[in-house]
This record gives sequence, structure tokens and C-alpha cells, in this order.
Amino acid sequence: MTEPTARNREVDRRWEGELIDGGGDRSARVADLLAAVRQTSVTPSARQTSVTPPARQEIATSAEQDAAPAVHRPAVPPGDWTVDRLTSAILTAAGRLMPGRDLHAEIDLFDAGASSVNAVELVAALDRDHGITIELDDVFADARPRKLAERWLTAHGAPPGAALVAAVPASLVPVEGSDLDMIAADLSLGDDLPWCDAPLPVTPRRILLTGATGFLGGHLLLDLLRRGDAHVVCIVRADDDEAALRRLGDALAGFDLPWSGEVRRRTTVLAGDIRRPRLGLSEPVWDTLTRELDSIVNVAAAVDFLRGYPSLRQSNVVAVRTLAELAMTGPSKPLHHVSSVAVFNEIGIASMGEDDPLAHINRLVAGYDKSKWAAEVLLRRARERGLVATVLRPGGIGGHTQTGAYNAHDLSCGFSAAFSRYRTVPAFRFFNVAPVDWVSQMAAAIVYEPDGWGQNYNLTGRPNAMSELVRDLELGGMNVEVMHWEDWREDFIARAEADPVPGLDFLARVMRSPTAMQLCEANLSSPAATGTRTEAFAARHDLPAPVRYGAEQSLKNYERMARDGLVTLPSAEDAPYLWFPETMKGRIDDKPAALRITLSIASMYQLTRQDKRTLDVRRGKLKLHDQLLTVESGEVWIRPDEGVPLQGGFDHPLLRYDLRLRDADGQRWWLEGWKMARPRRDLWKQSRTLTVEIGREGEPATFSGVLKVPSKSYLRDQFDGIQVDPRLSAQEQRTAKLAWLSWFLPEMTRGLLEPGFRLLADLLDLRKDAIDRQRESDLDQDRATIKKRVRAR
Amino acid sequence: MMSQMPARFDGAVVDRVPFRTSDGTDLGLCRISREPGRPAVLLVHGHTVSSEIFTLPEIRNLVDVLLDAGYEPWLLDWRGSSRLPYNEGRVRYSYDDVSLYDLPEAAAYIRGQIGDRKLFVVAHCVGAMALSMSLAAGLIPGLAGVVAHGVFLTPKVTWTVRLRSHLGGELLRSRFTHVPVDIKKVGLRSRYTPIFGLASLGADCPDPTCQMLHNSAWATGASLFEHDKLDKRTHDRLSELFGSVPTWILPHMRRNELAHSVMRWNNRDRRYARLPENALESAHRIDTPVLLMSGSKNKIWQDSNRLCHDLLSRRQPQLDVRYTEIPGYGHMDAFIGRGAALDVFGRIIDFLDEH
Ligand SMILES: [Zn+2]
Repeated sequence: MTEPTARNREVDRRWEGELIDGGGDRSARVADLLAAVRQTSVTPSARQTSVTPPARQEIATSAEQDAAPAVHRPAVPPGDWTVDRLTSAILTAAGRLMPGRDLHAEIDLFDAGASSVNAVELVAALDRDHGITIELDDVFADARPRKLAERWLTAHGAPPGAALVAAVPASLVPVEGSDLDMIAADLSLGDDLPWCDAPLPVTPRRILLTGATGFLGGHLLLDLLRRGDAHVVCIVRADDDEAALRRLGDALAGFDLPWSGEVRRRTTVLAGDIRRPRLGLSEPVWDTLTRELDSIVNVAAAVDFLRGYPSLRQSNVVAVRTLAELAMTGPSKPLHHVSSVAVFNEIGIASMGEDDPLAHINRLVAGYDKSKWAAEVLLRRARERGLVATVLRPGGIGGHTQTGAYNAHDLSCGFSAAFSRYRTVPAFRFFNVAPVDWVSQMAAAIVYEPDGWGQNYNLTGRPNAMSELVRDLELGGMNVEVMHWEDWREDFIARAEADPVPGLDFLARVMRSPTAMQLCEANLSSPAATGTRTEAFAARHDLPAPVRYGAEQSLKNYERMARDGLVTLPSAEDAPYLWFPETMKGRIDDKPAALRITLSIASMYQLTRQDKRTLDVRRGKLKLHDQLLTVESGEVWIRPDEGVPLQGGFDHPLLRYDLRLRDADGQRWWLEGWKMARPRRDLWKQSRTLTVEIGREGEPATFSGVLKVPSKSYLRDQFDGIQVDPRLSAQEQRTAKLAWLSWFLPEMTRGLLEPGFRLLADLLDLRKDAIDRQRESDLDQDRATIKKRVRAR
Repeated sequence: MMSQMPARFDGAVVDRVPFRTSDGTDLGLCRISREPGRPAVLLVHGHTVSSEIFTLPEIRNLVDVLLDAGYEPWLLDWRGSSRLPYNEGRVRYSYDDVSLYDLPEAAAYIRGQIGDRKLFVVAHCVGAMALSMSLAAGLIPGLAGVVAHGVFLTPKVTWTVRLRSHLGGELLRSRFTHVPVDIKKVGLRSRYTPIFGLASLGADCPDPTCQMLHNSAWATGASLFEHDKLDKRTHDRLSELFGSVPTWILPHMRRNELAHSVMRWNNRDRRYARLPENALESAHRIDTPVLLMSGSKNKIWQDSNRLCHDLLSRRQPQLDVRYTEIPGYGHMDAFIGRGAALDVFGRIIDFLDEH
């Protein structure tokens, strides 16, 4: 699943993110607005609807309640709108939402500083004040007020002879065509770049980095600092340097990256805006940078699959041109540009090698893909003028293999969440995804090594084939169904509507957008990207070869997404993966008692967690004297705390039972039981003996005693009695059973033998050391060594 | 060997202090100060390395960082230091001696010099393990804070390492008094050759010292650092940083590890009665905030410190103990790695600043 590079928070306008980040009452209100707005854009056909659906009314109502003096409904009937009138109405509404900004008919509102929340508010305001229903998708596609006006009028059948045509005839060309014109014009921006010589092939000392507040950018900042001694200058969008510093610190902390004094002393943060001339820096600062920098790394990009080319070009193309200018002015510097395999996003493309031809621009659909394509082609032209430009193309960027930190708006991450939640997978060929730590480490190395500059690299890692991904999910206890892409998409949208998950909003929105959908489709059918040059570079510089981002690599990421509620791991609520009964008999307070429970695991994953290795108890009965208690839930801890003895000594805990029960009167009880390993020969007995305490909820123990598994039923229950999820094939069931036993038996054996080992060690401790048997020649040698050492000090 | 130090640490004064413990062992102690009045931080190295792990000139080291952050580092070379002769010597010692003499007496000496200024301890590996015994014995009261890296009260290795080191160690100690890590010192054909051979099995790196430490630590299958975290210059002089391992200490290590607790070695010798038999059981005597740290890829002590944190938070909830995992780091590289200042030392400073 190809996915763009890093997400730069500063220029990225993805509105879902901001809703989540925004907090406060305002964002809650916007969330309501969104919920309503969303319903109107479910299917492409809904876009044609000019009838105001009920949801719209709600928006208006709720918004009116907020804006105290009731706003009057528009006086302009639909037929009377002209481009000019509507443009000025949009400008007025936008002006109220973004006070102090310099707005005009031709500026993209996002470039003028609008946030995604502003976009939602604008849509709501136009509806409320004028009854104008503009789709959010349209705003994201092209947020120039005049374009918005034209689009609305075209869609709503502007009456013949309306001022539309007369006012701006040129803008009636189809959107695709106008994108191509705009791209052609943007490419020519490279024609007035200066000519320059090759930079000196020396290790950089002062590096400019854009996009450091983003996911890849943040990781890359740290890897640039780790790999060498360079100082890194970060351009961060903010009102002043102090705010920029704060933003960077917050962003890094959010990705579990260090932001200590040690990081700060090697980092300079400048407030700027890559979309503006001179990166939004003052002339003296720009001039200093042209002289002092010796390397430029561009990670910043607007990563948005919904917005169109016009709204992305400033961040993704014009900014690249500005950075090229910086690189070519003064002493020349290499420019390392993070692109994306999205430049190959053409359905049916034959191969995705590092030097293979890019997609045909006229066959790229999503604005994002077009913008990444244009930036690469612009850099290609700049290379002809002497610029050493490195193109780094990641695919999907997976979560960090050690911290699990991830970018919730990476498509591969969204898909993982969807797969685990709905347990379905669309058919695809390859997932081109690599973990962020590998991508970032490779990129940092290329920046530092002159022999790597000026080339193209696919930082896509080792692609995941569909069969591998499905297998990983199965091992994780998630049996998924594979579906045709179209069916999967429909199914996903239907489920996302029936059971909305906040973390999946983003993906749902992408799935509903026709252009973004084609982007996904191109990804699903794409061949595996190849990274021959990248692999050769890694081998040359002792860097890790790409590894598949499989179950083990992505485990921490999965756990973190699970903590954030984005994915659902198999749990005690799922159907069990494997289970077996256990029966114990004995005496509690000198009266006969019996316990019968069913132990289960939801997945083998459950046993890999070092801090909490438990079996679930989902049901059971305890016969205590003449009472029958029902086991409602519970856990059995396997070698709790690695078997560290409770009170010193040689008794090592083997299993701990924690059960919650209810008696016939509905009263709650607890049961705590321990199986201990002791340095005695009766291991078989130890493994079956449970010392228990039982009490009422919230009270100390009232009963205690010992229960034992009869040796006959032990084997019958715990070996032959093992049941495996019947949905698995017979072969899978056998494997599951074997996997369980080959984990559980050694674990118990080790636990049982541990006290014995300690006794054995105590015996061995009495043996003589070599030092007691040394020969005279050894002693001489020792003395000589020691003398030499003492002299050396 | 210490001669290269004064040239560095700009503006700092390096005072080497003659220091002999009450059992008559000469140790290394050294103060690095910039201006008076700073809180002191005693740095305690691991076994078979030396205080040099805190002063590597080729990286931004912990002493640099402490000095810049306003602290006064004190370097102790305890008796297990590779700079001292004791690991290859005739006189055997156990970790009890470190917990009873070296650490408490060094701390007492520093206290005598700094008066009522704060004193912290940052300890690595076996140094931290020995420190946990001193603390549980109440021998170093009133510290401002302790950072223990890699392992503390609950040593734990994998079962493979367990079998190889506890049983293999038995073989070693009947044949060798110590195991060297520098093949240049002992020659290619020596009685140690089989150990080097064993350590080199399946190694990616041709450096024999590196194999002995990284590929299979002393042929036990453990690994002391993540290879790519080291600066090349550090990698190429590992044999200067690491010294021989005395085999006669292995039984004490084994006793600790099998119990997953720091245990006293000397049970009949009354001089050691001030140490508890099991430090974990006396953890309630710890009277200072503790930061437990470990690399997420520690391939020798595994998640011992996570286990220690879990245990202490349940069994001694009154203690101020927290746990930090350093993503991507192994064991030694958390101090001698190229990026340790960025990834590790910042966390140490944050902890010290807080207390
Ligand atoms: Zn090596």
C-alpha cells in the first residue's frame, strides 16, 4: 500500500487530525457538524443532491444556537447567484472565520492559513447563511474561492446567460486539464534557478531539515543527530521561534522521541513557512543559510489524499523549488528530497524500480500523487542545472519497531486498523511498507555519505505479500476473510457507518472519495517496489538490510495502536483460540471441595507478553461445602514475576489463580490460589497442588485449603482435553495444539526445576576453583601481569 | 591510562584521589569539577570494564553531559575494574566486598568532601547490582537519587544463557582463573583459543574481541551491545575497554541469577553480616528515588529491570521507583554508544534535575 512520506503537521491540513488534536468545546461542536456533513457525501451520487437533507437542518440549528442573534436565511434564490456574487459571499464567510488573513478570489484558502476545521465551518456557514451546499471534498480539492463558486454554479445548473461565462471564461476547462496546465507552469518554475557546481563531497556539518514535526521528519531529525556530529536547523511553521521550538518539542514527545537538552543543543529551530518565498524567513536569515548550510533535507509535505493539486502545490512543489534555490545559491549544497512511491501510482504500471520511468502524469488521479510527481520532475530539471538532488521514496511508513510510535494517517496504518477490527482484507498484490526506524536510518545515512548523493532510492523495504500478511494476522489470533477490492470497500464503508470508530474516520473518508479511492486501487494492484540501489548502499555502509514488516517487527506498533483503541487485539471477549478443562478436588477448611474450570487463550500472542502471561478463565464451578459457586471470570498467571520467590527462600511460584465468583444468592467472592515449585522430588505432585484462599468481595479470606488435580484427570484434561477454535482447518488445529504444548510444557518444567537448580548450584559452589590448582608457572605469569598493570597506573 | 583525561572536559579540574578501602584494597576515585557547589554524581561502572566507559573521548560521554548540566561527576574504579589488577589476581573477591566496602566507602568519602550537597549515584550492570545490596543493607543512606542501568535487584538472563553460563562457567572455573577478551594479549594459540572459537560461531564481525562481547558474551550466547550503536573508533578498541573476567566470581553470579535476586555470598563469615542474605527481601530499606533503565534490546539481562519495577511496585509500593526503556539499545551501548547522549543521558539528567 503505497503511502506518502511523512506527514508534516505544519502544512498538513487533514481535518480529522485537527479535530482530535484541537480539544475543547469548539472542536466538539465541529465534530457534530462533521458527523452531519459526512452523511451528505457518502456516495458520489449524493454529491448531485441539491435537496437539503435533514442533517443539514440540524447543522443550521445547532450553529444558530451558538451564534446568538439568529442569522437570517438568504434572500438570494439559487438562480440569481453569479460567480462574482458567490465568490464574494465565500470570501466574506471565510474572512469571518479567519480574521486578519489576506484573502482574495484566487488564493487557496489553505494556503492563506485555513485549517481543516475552518473548512468545515465554512461549509456550515455557507449553508446556514445562504443555503449553499458545498461539499467538503470540493473545498479540499481546490479551495480558491472563485473556483468553489464556479463549481457550485456548474453543479447546480447555473441558468444560461448567467454572468458565469462572461466573468471568467477560462476557468470552465475541466479540472484535469487545468491541473495539467498548472503542473506544466509549475515545472517551468525550475527554469529560472541559477546554475551551480557540484557540492564538495564532505560530511555535512550544518543541515537544514523541513518537516521535523512530522512522523518521518521527527525520526529523521534524531537519526541525523545520532549518525554524525552535524547541527540541524529545522524550519517549523509558527508565529515565532519560541513557538516553533515548543511545537517541535511537543511533536517529538508525541512520537516518543527524546527532546532533552542534549537534543536541543544540536538543533536550531526557526519559525518559517516552506510555502512562502525564502521559506518565510527574513532576507538576512535566508542569506546566512545560503552561506552556512552544507546540506538540505526536505521531508515537509502536505500529505492529503482528498485535496486536489491546486491546494497541494505550494507545499509539495513550490516549496521544493524554493529549497532548490537555497541549495544552488552560495556554496552549492546537496538537496535530499523525500518523495514517495506515489509517483508510480498509475493503475497497471509495469515496474517500480529506482530509475524506472515515473507514471504518466495524465494517468495520475489524486492531487497528492500529481504533486509528488511534479516535484520529482522539477528536481530532474534542476539536476541539469547542476543541483545534486537525491530522491528518497518511501512507501507506507509503518510504526517504530521498538517504540511502536506510528502515524495514524498513514494509509498502511489505517488499513491495519480496519483489518484487525473487521477481520476482512481486500485482495492486493503487495504492501510496500517499511518501519519508520529503518526508513529514517537509511535516509540519515544517505545524507551523511557523499557516495550516496544525487541518486534515486526506493525506501520501501521488503514488500509484504498478501499471503504473508494474512498469515501474520492468523498467528495473532485473527482469522481474516479476503474480499475483492470493490466488495471490501463497500463492506468497509457500511461497517464504518454502522459502527463508527474515531480512529478509522480518516480511512472512511478516503474510501468515500472517488479520487483517493483510485489512489488506493492503484496501490493494491501495484507491483512490488524494488530497491536495488538502496540495498547496495546498506550493504556498503553496514546498515541493516530491509526486513519484512511482519508480525514480530510490527508487534510493538500493534500493541500501541491497541492501547489507543485503533486496533482490536484478540481478547477474552473474542471466541477462544484454544481451551481445556481442569478439575481439582481437595479439602477447604477440612470439608470436601471441588473446582472445575475451563482455561483458555485468545491467541498465542497472549503468551508473548512478558509482563502479563495469563490464561483466561471464562467459566467454571466451585463446590464449597454444600454451596455451589459460579466462576464468572479470572486469570491464571504463568510463572508470575518470573517465579521470583515470594518471601525469599526456595519456593518459587509456578501458577497463580485469580478467580471471581458468585454464589447462589448473587453474592460476590474471590479465590486466590498458588501452585509452587519447591526443591523436592515430588515435582509431579507440586505441579498439581493448588493452595487456595477464598473470601467475600472486599473482605479478607474466610476459607483456606488445598486442592489437587487427580493424576488421572490431569493428562486427560490438559492434553486430550485441549480444544481449538473449530473455524480453523484440521491442520491448523493440530499446529495450534502443538504450539501451545511446546510453549506450556517447557515453561512448567523450567519452573519446577528452578528450585532444584539452586540446590545443585549450592553443591557445586563447594568445588575448588582453578586458582587453587594453579601451577607455579601460571603463578609467575599472573605476578608478571599484575606488576605490569600496577606500573601502568 | 588516565593520562588522556585532563586534556578534555574544557574548564574542568580533574583530581585523582588516593583511595583505599577498609579491607586494604586500592581503588580508583576521581573528581571532575568545574565550579564549586554543584550536586555530586558518583558513576559506577560494570564488571570487567572501567570508569572509562563514562569518559570515552570519541563520543559525547556522560561526564561531558553531566558537566554541562551543572553536576560534579565522581568516577569510581571499584575492584572489578579492568584498570585494576584484581580480576586477574590471586586474591578472590565476591560482589559482597563491593557492596560492603567499595561503594559505601566511596560514597562516604565523597560526602566528606562535598558536605551537605546532594549526592546521586548512576550505576551500570553489576555495579548497579552491587549497589542494590548496599542500599538494601542501609549502608548508603540519604542519596538524592539512584539510576540503575541494565539490572538492579532482580538479575535474570535467558534459559539458554543460563545453561551455558552456569554449567559452562563450572567448566571454565575448573580450568581457568580468568577469561581474557583480547586475543592479542594471549596469542592466537593459547589455552583460551577454544573459548574464542566458541564465541566466534556464526559471528558477522571479524573482530575477535567484538565476537567475545557481542556475538556471544564469553561464549554464553548473550550479547553486550547493539553492534550498530557503537562508533567505529569505540568498536575497534573494545579490547582496551573490556578486561578479563575472573572465573571464581561466577558462582556468586549464578547464585544471584538462579534466585532472580541479589544474594549475599558469604554466609558464615561474620564480617558480612551487615549485608542481608537476600537484597530483594530487604528492598524496603531503600530510602531514595530509583530510576531503573534498560535498553529495549538488552540481550544479557533481558527485561530484568522491568521485572524489578513490577515486583517493587507491587511488593514495596511505598518506594519511588520508575522504569524507562531505551528504544533500540542493548546493554553497554547505552553508555558507550555513539548516540547515548541523545537517547540515554538526557533521561538521566531529567531524573537528576527532578530530584
Ligand atoms: Zn564487531
